[in-house]
Amino acid sequence: MIEQVFGALLIGMMVALGILIIVSIIRSVLGPGISDRIIAVNMIGTIVIMLIALLSVYLDESYLVDVCLIYAMISFLAVVVLCKVYTGVYLQKKQMKADLQAVEDNLKHREEPAGPEEKETN
Amino acid sequence: MEWVRYFLAGILLLLGLFLEILAVFGVNKFRKALNRIHAAAIGDTLGILFVFLGCMVLRGFSMDSLKLFLVIAFFWLASPVSGHMISRLEAMTNENLGEIAVVHLDNEGKQEEKDHGSV
Amino acid sequence: MSKRKSPQELGGYLKFKRWLAGDLDLLEDVTEDAGPAVAPESADRLPARDSALESRRRASEEVYGPEVWPQSHTPGYAQAWRDRIALQKGTGDAQAVLQAQEKSLRFFRAVYKIMAVLLCGAIILVFLWTTVHLPPFGSPDNPANNEVPARYIRHGVEETGATNFVTGMILDYRAFDTFGESCVLFIASCCVQVLLRVDACDGKSAARTRIQQENDRLFEPKNDGILQQTARLLVPLILIFGVYIILNGHLSPGGGFSGGAVLGSGLILYLNAFGFAKTERFFNERIYRRITLCALTFYCLAKSYSFFTGANHLESGIPLGTPGAILSSGLILPLNICVGLVVMGTMYSFYTLFRKGGM
Repeated sequence: MIEQVFGALLIGMMVALGILIIVSIIRSVLGPGISDRIIAVNMIGTIVIMLIALLSVYLDESYLVDVCLIYAMISFLAVVVLCKVYTGVYLQKKQMKADLQAVEDNLKHREEPAGPEEKETN
Repeated sequence: MEWVRYFLAGILLLLGLFLEILAVFGVNKFRKALNRIHAAAIGDTLGILFVFLGCMVLRGFSMDSLKLFLVIAFFWLASPVSGHMISRLEAMTNENLGEIAVVHLDNEGKQEEKDHGSV
Repeated sequence: MSKRKSPQELGGYLKFKRWLAGDLDLLEDVTEDAGPAVAPESADRLPARDSALESRRRASEEVYGPEVWPQSHTPGYAQAWRDRIALQKGTGDAQAVLQAQEKSLRFFRAVYKIMAVLLCGAIILVFLWTTVHLPPFGSPDNPANNEVPARYIRHGVEETGATNFVTGMILDYRAFDTFGESCVLFIASCCVQVLLRVDACDGKSAARTRIQQENDRLFEPKNDGILQQTARLLVPLILIFGVYIILNGHLSPGGGFSGGAVLGSGLILYLNAFGFAKTERFFNERIYRRITLCALTFYCLAKSYSFFTGANHLESGIPLGTPGAILSSGLILPLNICVGLVVMGTMYSFYTLFRKGGM
């Protein structure tokens, strides 16, 4: 009898965690800015790990815990790579904008006194 | 006597679920990303610890409990580093991060002036 | 000079070779230029070119797209910069032309979005409706339960020696298909190399500096201290876990493919924490080539006899052992190791090809 109650409790917890995942998905679509989205996706990964552990208890299969460990590794790696790449892209675009601004200033500065040949200096 | 095990495991699992609900609620309630990391870290550390402790109590002393403990150890090492990388990303790329107060201390450790700068 | 021969004058095979080497731009007669264009190879001959400006120009090409850029001493140069700035700021004739193009694209984009949503919704509905009509999971009178799986299940453990029966299936009964799958991974890696036009630098310093200037990792934050200390602790753990999954392929779910993926991700974590220079001390292109060659050759020699014996089972001479021990099931353990090594190399090579342009 107590196993049935416990089984019902586990199913209820899994449904609740599923609702939390849906809320996190909504947050990852809404969140203004990339950091909010990465936080939401990381949280989805954590909740999925909990879900798999509960499933392994419910189904009484012990190999599902390996899946938990792999999922933890992959989500950690994903966050690390995403942060690095996006920081690089952002700083590069900022440098591009600064370059264009400098060139525009130079052209404007040299157009008033100078003739037809214009050179761009760094 | 099995009911003690199920009772203890049930308490731990429900506590873990409650902490995770708190974490998701916090992520949705705060407005800035740096505050949201604080809320997400609750779920990442305590929430998952209690859920896995509940599963470990159910399994007893066996290979499965050792694997669950290994998952916790890996997760507790890796998840704060994820939070650190996200907060560095936020600090480096967010244009309007808000005001940051810089406090200068002189040699005795007292505050000499307060400096408000914005990033 | 002679490098600007039109593509119709070249023969087919020579043209392909020049395209591979990057000397041939197939669209050079099609684009309109804003002045005398710079041929891509003649840029090395101009002595007065500033290398920092060159690198930034190439980097801006990667962000904003390639364009034909006039030389700095011609009158078209300043006009090209003015056009570019006007385009950015939204003033001038270039912006008007762009807006006219945008209007015709806007309708297409709206229609595309609506059609995409409708198509996805239709496919989802079809799948859900099909799932309702599937037979119940695991019931004995499913169409999939006929005499073929019954025979495999009856004699599976005693013939292959593997307790995890899926591994016994893919690495013993159907080992030739798995060989094809490992080769497919290797072919995918080769195709990515061809598409990215990776050519061998014979140690020429000009080519090497050009590649280094073109890389888009100039602005990335390097070598975070916290990540390094954590990686020092975690990477051995991940690698050991990957090896465990590979070696346990015939006892529990796992095997070569998933274990290789975990090994590859461990290497990628090390690379992200410490940079390319340190990783190439122990895993570079030579090692990758040798590992892949040895693994695939061993697999081929071990299992392609079925081509010649008409898929009849030949004894491999390795005793099957007791099912459930780790040294059991004949050739499955070495084959798992081969597949795992190939997958690890492929994962790592995909990552570095897209980040660095080479291994």
